[in-house]
Amino acid sequence: MMTGIRVSLLVASFALAAAAHGADLAAGQAKAKEICQACHGLDGNSTVADYPKLGGQYPDYLSKALRDYKSGARKNPIMAGFAGALTAQDIDNLAAYYASQPPVLARKY
Amino acid sequence: MTRSLAIALLLLLPALAFAQTPAQPAASAGDPVKGREKTRMCEGCHGIEGWRTAFPEVYRVPKLGGQHEAYIAAALKEYKSGARSHPSMRAIAGGLTDDDIANLAAYYAQGGVKTASQ
Repeated sequence: MMTGIRVSLLVASFALAAAAHGADLAAGQAKAKEICQACHGLDGNSTVADYPKLGGQYPDYLSKALRDYKSGARKNPIMAGFAGALTAQDIDNLAAYYASQPPVLARKY
Repeated sequence: MTRSLAIALLLLLPALAFAQTPAQPAASAGDPVKGREKTRMCEGCHGIEGWRTAFPEVYRVPKLGGQHEAYIAAALKEYKSGARSHPSMRAIAGGLTDDDIANLAAYYAQGGVKTASQ
C-alpha cells in the first residue's frame, strides 16, 4: 500500500518535472529563426497586423494553438503548413521560447 | 530603351506594392471607447491573470492587450462563424455585431507593453 503510494508520488513528480523542464529554449529559438521569424519576428513582436504578436504570451496558449493548427482543429492555410511539420517537442520549445521573450502583450480588463 | 525601362518598372511594381503594405498603419476602424463598454463578457476570463479555460482543454486564456487590432477582429469573426471552435468563445462572439467586433478589437489593441522596437 505504502509502496504503491510512493511509486505514484515518484511517477507524479517525474511527470511534473518533465512538464516544467521539458522545453529547450535554445532549440525553440533555432526553430523560430528557421520558420516563425519571417512573419512573427524573432522576439514575437510581429509588425504585420494580420500576424499575432507572440512575445510574452502564455506558453500553454501558444502550444495549444500550434497543436490545433497541426491537427487541423484550427484552420489556417499558412499555419497548417508550418505547424504540420513540427514535432510535439518543437511545439513545447517554441511555445516556451516565445513566452520567454520581452512581453509585448498584457492582460487587459 | 523605353521598352527596357517599362520592363524594369513592371518588375519593380510588386516590390513597391509589398514595401508599402507594412508601412501603412492598420486603419483603426473600431471605436475603443465603445469597445470598452462591451468587455463585460470578456474580462471574466481575459481580465484575470493566468485564468485557465477548463473545457475542452486546460490552458491559460491569451493575453489580449496590445495585440494587433486586425488579428483580434479576425479571431472574433472566426469564432462567430464557427471556423474557429471554442464553446465559450463561440457563444460570446455569436452575440456580437460586426461593429462590436471592430470596437472590441480597437479597445484591446490599445494598452500593450511598449518595447524599444516600437
